[in-house]
Amino acid sequence: MIQDTLLAFGAALLQAGGMLAVAPLLKTVIKKLKARLQNRKGPPLLQGYYDLLKLLRKEPVRSETASFIYVAGPRVYFAAAVAATTLVPVLVAAAPLEAAGGILLLVGTLALGRFALATAALDTGSPFGGMGASRDMTIAALAEPALMLGLFASALAAGSLSLGVMVRGLLQQGLSFHPSDLLAFAGLFIIVITETGRIPVDNPATHLELTMIHEAMVLEYAGPDLALVEWASALKELLYLTLLVDLFLPAGMATSVAPLALLVALLAWAGKIFVLAIFVTVAESTNAKLRLFRVPELVSVSLGLAFLALAIRFL
Amino acid sequence: MGGSILASVVTVTVALFVVASGQPVDGVLLRHAASGIVLGYSVTPLSAWFLMVLGLVGAPVALYSVGYFGHAVKASRMAAVGTAFNLLLGAVEGVFVADGVMSFLFAWEVMTLLTAALVATEHEFPTSRRAAYFYLVMSHVGTGCLVAGFLFLAAEAGSLSFPAMLAGDIVSGPTRDALFALFFLGFGVKAGVIPLHVWLPEAHPAAPTSVSALMSAVLVTAGIYGLFRVCAFGLGVPDVNWALAFMAVGTLSAILGVLYALTQTDLKRLLAYSTIENVGIIVLGLGASMMALANGSRELAAVAVAASLMHVLNHAIFKGLLFLGAGSVAMATGTREIERFGGLLRRMPWTGLFFLIGAMAISGLPLLNGFPSEWLTFQALLLGFTSTPGMVRLNFPLAGAMLALTSALAAACFVRAFGISFVALPRSQSAAEAKESPWAMLVPQALLATLCLSFGLFPGVVLEALGSVMGSLPGLEPREDMALSGWGMASGLGRFDHVVPSMLGVALLGSLAAAWFLTKRGARTRRVPTWGCGGELTPRTEYTATAFSKPLMMIFRAVYRPTQEVEALAEVSPYFPREVRYRAEIEPTFERYVYAPLARAVLRLANGMKVLQAGSLHAYLAYVLVLAVILLMWLGGPT
Repeated sequence: MIQDTLLAFGAALLQAGGMLAVAPLLKTVIKKLKARLQNRKGPPLLQGYYDLLKLLRKEPVRSETASFIYVAGPRVYFAAAVAATTLVPVLVAAAPLEAAGGILLLVGTLALGRFALATAALDTGSPFGGMGASRDMTIAALAEPALMLGLFASALAAGSLSLGVMVRGLLQQGLSFHPSDLLAFAGLFIIVITETGRIPVDNPATHLELTMIHEAMVLEYAGPDLALVEWASALKELLYLTLLVDLFLPAGMATSVAPLALLVALLAWAGKIFVLAIFVTVAESTNAKLRLFRVPELVSVSLGLAFLALAIRFL
Repeated sequence: MGGSILASVVTVTVALFVVASGQPVDGVLLRHAASGIVLGYSVTPLSAWFLMVLGLVGAPVALYSVGYFGHAVKASRMAAVGTAFNLLLGAVEGVFVADGVMSFLFAWEVMTLLTAALVATEHEFPTSRRAAYFYLVMSHVGTGCLVAGFLFLAAEAGSLSFPAMLAGDIVSGPTRDALFALFFLGFGVKAGVIPLHVWLPEAHPAAPTSVSALMSAVLVTAGIYGLFRVCAFGLGVPDVNWALAFMAVGTLSAILGVLYALTQTDLKRLLAYSTIENVGIIVLGLGASMMALANGSRELAAVAVAASLMHVLNHAIFKGLLFLGAGSVAMATGTREIERFGGLLRRMPWTGLFFLIGAMAISGLPLLNGFPSEWLTFQALLLGFTSTPGMVRLNFPLAGAMLALTSALAAACFVRAFGISFVALPRSQSAAEAKESPWAMLVPQALLATLCLSFGLFPGVVLEALGSVMGSLPGLEPREDMALSGWGMASGLGRFDHVVPSMLGVALLGSLAAAWFLTKRGARTRRVPTWGCGGELTPRTEYTATAFSKPLMMIFRAVYRPTQEVEALAEVSPYFPREVRYRAEIEPTFERYVYAPLARAVLRLANGMKVLQAGSLHAYLAYVLVLAVILLMWLGGPT
């Protein structure tokens, strides 16, 4: 029992470390893909790492009005994102901390990080922080039911809310396709775009005060504090894409920890994430950012898709 | 107050004893030989659960009152408020332990009257008087329904004691449905479910804070206790339609409760609306269990009942904590307006920390106690989907989505409530000069905050305690291994889902350490003023609570139906206003479209009855005669 737990935490450490190491790359890859679509060259592939290193080396600058909440915010946000990655199967068809819980715990953990960051955003007294926190919590609240319903559609098909059980069930089935998968995938993809702050919901590249959401929330952060926020955001994006892979196309995942199986799983995972990154890039390049009050319409499309998926599957 | 603390501790002990042993404790208080009326008490495992909730919240609240009443209640009213508070605790206890109609209704009425009196503590303000009156009227309509229902049941059963009346086989068919509706109405008013909630946001904030905490944390559970005892488990196997009604009312209360809470700027009113939300979650869980009972899935019914009862406990603890925090803040600043707080964390660090813990718990974040009960409710809804036949089951994922929306909106609501009140710059002079509360007010908050953390980290312990309660209710079949030997929870039925929060806690701690390690190098922190867009940063440039909830208010326009006016006073040119006034309010939908017509109808009816009651003695004598003749004809006729 104790040995199992230690083993689980060891695996969690490895997986979280690996995901943390890869996450900045994903951000840069999407940037580069986007640049290519615009006939630009884009940043070097390692730019994400350079940025993080630079920020981590800088002197921390904090507001005079801020309290310990301001310091705790990015740290809890970071910790929640890292802890969340240990709840998701990535290469092996089992999450390292599968014993801790399933998708409800995953969603709850991400909500914990969001709560911490939004509260911290109010701490400096800058109106931007408040604006960002308000908008971020609004959009998160709207996305939550669609996200849950989309996850429920997959979970009910698998008969379990545990991600590991769901993935193993899908692997056992082999390549099978149900029309409801398409709807559920489309619904969840919209939510992934929403939650990761991509166009058309939010623009990660803007600092124009009227349009930014996530960026407004973290506008007052600098140096190492900002590095944590950026890193955690990148990790969250990788996490959401991995979740899509797990729920809809886990084929190729390792069912044992044999080196060859792991290598195959790594290549398969990287390939699938890359394809999803192309999806995200195309969505971001072909759409204009929506006005804040048009976002509910987009999210309700996702909610509708998830509900339809559920109805088609079970009626 | 010392007495009530002691009494609460004794209550918890008795309750824990019953919960642990699963054996009811019965006794007789009063026996009147001539009428055959026996007033007794009976602590069944279900009532013990509610007693435990009462005691766990009652003891800290009583301790808090020692510090609070001295400052916040006028000296001339101290004795009355203190006595009423202690009696109220006793009356609520009476409601939970009553073993028959007489003692139940007596305790119920005492509870109602004492609460009404306490709500009217500051009776020099018309709002307090109105709130108390409102509460009294609605409660009595509810009690009227209960009296009618109980008398009917008692007549059918031929007994006034609960075990005989609530055996479940007394009535059937449409009579049973009508009785269910009566009880639902009667207990629903007390529980504060929408649309019977309108008294709650008026009455809860008007009372002194200790009483508000008690009302929101425990008094609403008196209504829920009734819903459990009578509606769900007292009238036989529930009908599918009853279950649907419960689920609909629960979902509606949860969503609307949190939406209204989001726009409040009075901290205590905000908490009162959030009570409606949480009652909604509790009723939703109960509805899911009734659906399972109606379909005969006994294991699932146990999961749903556990969800509901666990949320009763968890809500009582974090709502008690939040109300105590709100009371401390109101005492320190002299106002309940969120817009006039700000920066309180520096002046009142302990209150702020405890309020933060409560806010995180109520938002359903893992590691705190709001999460496990919401988690269990989700399990009940999803399992309900898999084990309910037909189209009806589509209700479950919909309710699940609504529950997800509710908890996310609650998070937004409490980011706002905590963030605007406790961080950034003070928004008023009184907030800038606020002082931390005395220890007698801080210790109870610390106790409740500790409970929030421990029940959040080890929900299995709570679930194990619930085992005997579930075992005592008819039709439930709890799985043995649900509590994962105290560490977490499993929802059974195969390997559906499980959660072990402490494991996540370890992962979070590890990641926090990593974050600390990553950022510990580097130079000393430089402190600089926040950039105020070139201007000076003052409280007036901060984001306000109203602004924070504005996007949601716009998005849910259909619910709020807001009216707003912007008025710009300009002297030279309309482009350079000297002053801008902004006023916005949301439409009180239920008050305007349900209760106002109802009140008008009642008044019209009363006006019409004036003709009968004209003040003429002769007419009255004639009524008596006519009535006597009719009664004689009716009673004497058939025989």
